[in-house]
Amino acid sequence: MTTEGYGSHRWGMAIDLDRCTGCQACVVACQAENNIPLNFEDRFDRSRAFEWIRVERYWEGEFPDVKARFMPILCQHCNNAPCEPVCPVFATYHNSEGLNVQVYNRCVGTRYCANGCPYQVRFFNYWEPVWPESLRNHLNPDVTVRSRGIMEKCTFCIQRIRRGARQAARENREIQDGEIQPACVQACPTQTLNFGDWNDPESRINQMKNNDRSYTLLPHLETDPNVVYLAKVDPHKEVTHHAEAESGVH
Amino acid sequence: MSTRSSHGVAHDPHERPSGAEVTADLVRSTYSTGGTFKLIAIVLAVLTVLGVVGVILKFINYGDDQTRWGYVVAAMVFVLTAGTGAPMVAIAPALAKANWIRPVTRIAALFSVTGIVSSLMLIPILFMLPPLITQGARRRSIWFEGPDYSPHIWGMIALLGLTLAGLGLLYSSALPDLAAMRDHATGWRQRWGKRLARGFIGTEGQWRTLRLRIGMFGTLYFLLLVFTHFLISTDIGQSMVAGWRDAIFPMYHAMTSIQAGVAGTILVMWIARRFGGMDRYLHLDQFWSLGKLLFATSLLWFYFFISAFMVYWYGRAGADKLWLDLLIRGPMIWAFLGAFTFSFFVPWWFLIWNRTRTSINGPAIAAVIVLFGALLDRMRLYVPAWSVDPTRIHERFLTEIPTTQWPDIFDILIFVGGISAAILLYMLATRLIPIVSIWEVHQSNLLSRPAKFIRGHGVLVAKPD
Amino acid sequence: MQQRRTLDQPHTNRVLLNGQLNTPGWWLPTVLLLGVAVVAGLGVILFMIMQGLGVTGLGRPVFWGLFITTFVFWVGISHAGIMISAILRLTQAEWRRPVTRAAELLTVFSLLTALFFPLIHAGRPWRIAYWIVPYDFARGIWPNVRSPLIWDPVAISTYLTGSTLFLYVALLPDLGNLRDRTTGWKNALYTVLALGWRGNPRQWKLQTIGGILLSALMLPIFVSVHSIVSWDFAITPAVEGWHSTIFAPYFVIGAVHSGVSAVVTMMALMRWLWKWDDFIRPEHFDALARLLIVVATGWLGFTFLELIFAVYGLDAPEIALREMQIFQWPWNMLFLVFLFTGYIIPVTMWLFKSVRTNIALMFWTSILVNIGMWLERYLIIVPGLARKQPFVFSWEGYAPSIVEWAILAWSFAWVSFLMLLFSRFFPLVPLFEQKESQVFTTDVKIGRATVPAILREEE
Repeated sequence: MTTEGYGSHRWGMAIDLDRCTGCQACVVACQAENNIPLNFEDRFDRSRAFEWIRVERYWEGEFPDVKARFMPILCQHCNNAPCEPVCPVFATYHNSEGLNVQVYNRCVGTRYCANGCPYQVRFFNYWEPVWPESLRNHLNPDVTVRSRGIMEKCTFCIQRIRRGARQAARENREIQDGEIQPACVQACPTQTLNFGDWNDPESRINQMKNNDRSYTLLPHLETDPNVVYLAKVDPHKEVTHHAEAESGVH
Repeated sequence: MSTRSSHGVAHDPHERPSGAEVTADLVRSTYSTGGTFKLIAIVLAVLTVLGVVGVILKFINYGDDQTRWGYVVAAMVFVLTAGTGAPMVAIAPALAKANWIRPVTRIAALFSVTGIVSSLMLIPILFMLPPLITQGARRRSIWFEGPDYSPHIWGMIALLGLTLAGLGLLYSSALPDLAAMRDHATGWRQRWGKRLARGFIGTEGQWRTLRLRIGMFGTLYFLLLVFTHFLISTDIGQSMVAGWRDAIFPMYHAMTSIQAGVAGTILVMWIARRFGGMDRYLHLDQFWSLGKLLFATSLLWFYFFISAFMVYWYGRAGADKLWLDLLIRGPMIWAFLGAFTFSFFVPWWFLIWNRTRTSINGPAIAAVIVLFGALLDRMRLYVPAWSVDPTRIHERFLTEIPTTQWPDIFDILIFVGGISAAILLYMLATRLIPIVSIWEVHQSNLLSRPAKFIRGHGVLVAKPD
Repeated sequence: MQQRRTLDQPHTNRVLLNGQLNTPGWWLPTVLLLGVAVVAGLGVILFMIMQGLGVTGLGRPVFWGLFITTFVFWVGISHAGIMISAILRLTQAEWRRPVTRAAELLTVFSLLTALFFPLIHAGRPWRIAYWIVPYDFARGIWPNVRSPLIWDPVAISTYLTGSTLFLYVALLPDLGNLRDRTTGWKNALYTVLALGWRGNPRQWKLQTIGGILLSALMLPIFVSVHSIVSWDFAITPAVEGWHSTIFAPYFVIGAVHSGVSAVVTMMALMRWLWKWDDFIRPEHFDALARLLIVVATGWLGFTFLELIFAVYGLDAPEIALREMQIFQWPWNMLFLVFLFTGYIIPVTMWLFKSVRTNIALMFWTSILVNIGMWLERYLIIVPGLARKQPFVFSWEGYAPSIVEWAILAWSFAWVSFLMLLFSRFFPLVPLFEQKESQVFTTDVKIGRATVPAILREEE
């Protein structure tokens, strides 16, 4: 992965699929943290549900010898992001900390970025978001409520990154590894999700990346993601790159 | 400009020779096998033999290493490219009922004899072409689960079919001329005409059959041309490189073939005019019109190229970068730059200029440039495609780009030999069939006449259905 | 063909100007009806803008659907004008003459319609002009020139400007003609529009040079427009079904196929509605059908290459996509309809001269072609998105909503409305081309046969 061209940080995530139980806590935490509109039944029916992080569930094998596989997928914050060059108005671009960010104000809603994204982690506001009266006061004041007609996606909880950075600056120190946690990472009970800084050689995610189980999604597209996956350990199988086996990607 | 004809009488370019004169002149044009002609033919024959020796030596030295055969493939594909595209020049404008094409049709159709050379050159290549399954792994191909030797068999069948269709087109359109040779020639040419003309005496029914046959062979030829280029370009080009998947490539291949065919036709026209005394039949009109066609096809070269380039350059995925790395900025960048310059850039700026396009020498110079560009283009495509590691042919995409390969002495012999053989065959064919179609000239004279229009002069061209 | 009649100039003037000088009875009711449809359609668009794109059938991952299909369709139709006017003009095809105006009009109006679709398709259409047109220098942020969505408006607006000029230059002699035959406010209108056209040799020379220059200049634009539209799709490696190098020429030749067919439809309508039987003759249909056979067969070849090189890679998602596109209900049905209407039925019929010269059959086959060509774009855009990448979990289908269908219908009403409105004020068959053709064509006797002949410039 490239490190040039970035400032002091390059945020990223390492996801250990061997630990994932498919509990969906990350999904719920993300919904609460990021003011994501409620996913009613009809939103799912019309495939318009918002899940900045989703847990994909695949079945492997034939009944009765069947296994459920889980795979949390969120924006991969690619260094070579296919969504970025296609936006006519620069509403999505790469910032100096390796984040692929979405500028809500600039977005006109062409949805071209969503077509360009091979991971399908971009979401479009087909309707104005509404919350029941009882939930109005639960909205996170640090996160913009998106209006209809624009794209949105995982930000790696940029509000938490900023808060962590401010805190560290106030205390006149470097940001510690593990100090900043996006909502999904914080909620994950099994430490499947790990957040950190690729530029910090001692960081947990760098140690995880050096594991020989590590891989990135859809490597043939050369998007150079900032999210790294650790393959499931399967005692019955020689090859454990299960996401790849699933997709026919070799 | 030379107005000297084969028998040394000066002609006014606008004067229309009478029918009998045309027949006599063109039948006689097949006779001249003077010293220069013989000398050139002998030199070409020697070069051809040297080319055959080159193939044999190549087999002895590199018979087990297909990565060294790129230039041989490029030579074969170049002969195929320039030779098979030309007859289209005879077919397409004729379908549009263009009158100017008539004196050129034979020159273009005669190119189909070079199909024999490219078919022969394909044989050694088929021995080197790996089957679909090598070392237990199947390479990606248009044959999917087909038999192992499908590319070999179908490539050969298509090329032979194309050659036969071309010869069929040539023969059926030469029938009235053969009859003219039967009636007006002497010696063995008369017997040759008699045997081949098959009793053609020009009844209405015979003419109708003739037109029908030309139309059928023309259509068949076009379909086979696209089919052959599709097979050759994918089977011995694309599928030799893991991950090269380029849907426009067969069309690019066929299009460049037509471009080179136009260029070849112009070149032969120029030679026939300059040295063969055909200036009575080949006028500025023909050069100008074909010059426009050459200009258009040169622009199309760029269009088909950029269609692929844009997709890969913008896509930036693994397989996309491979294409750029292997075929453009990779080992053969010199050939690519040459092809870009000579197939597109130079002809574009050369022919966009009215004074060069509307002349006799202008299109001829552009034709030489375009043929050279086509040669470089085939090199930049087939040499890197064949020089990749054959053991990794089945992978998702290539990760190692081969280094630049330069031609060895055998490659040069084969290149020169193949092209010489094609030229030699063409030259011999012109001694059997007049290089300008007698009956087309007759028809052209019949269907067009000078006319006065208000204060200017024009030509009245009849367009029968 | 021997059915050509010698038409004197007064007759030509009288018949071809009947739309302007004495309006046919059906004109007003039809225009009113179409006007109501157009207003209703605009109402639907307004409703969609007020409510949000939730009223469409779009979702994730099918973010683009019927609107983009229709956009590509109308851009495709717009290729009729330059194909007929410029290419056939440069290749001196004589039969083009009565069709040129209609084809150019189709170009201008279908482009105007096509432009609507990307606009209303955006989430916040009111912002598009603000962001894409770089007028606000103070902001310091320019549009992203790397985005094909910036190339699109550039190419299309260039094409629109060029074809409008082209149309106008060819209209000038006829405007002069109309000016001399009208009174009152109409006369004033034509006087202004005719730009002082008197038909002197200098003006004719300039008009001819202008036409040829515009033809040559428009050709690269003609090719680039649909190539750029195709690159909207083809440059995206994420969508396997789109990432194909053949897209640019494939789209262009498909556009010519649908555009020329649309011209055939228009010609039949013109012949029926204005009774221009002397001017739009079976031989013109015959020539266009011959051209269409060649274009359609070339287009089929590209379709074949597109399909074979799609599965050539043997990538699982790509195969899943083709499986859906060709074998899964309801796409298999659409695919069959596409194949039969786009190629098999029309081209098989056009092989027969009796069909080529039968106006009613030509009308219906040309409509079939455009049904097929619309489906072609739909079958490229939607299944490509619906089966994007190996994340089976997110594969979804798409069915357009009633709102989308209504807006599609509106686009047809809108083009017809503009066309009819134009026909009230300007001649649909160029008078001067018609007269020029009378001068340039004649019959000659060769032996016993009488053959039509054309006067050409001396080389």
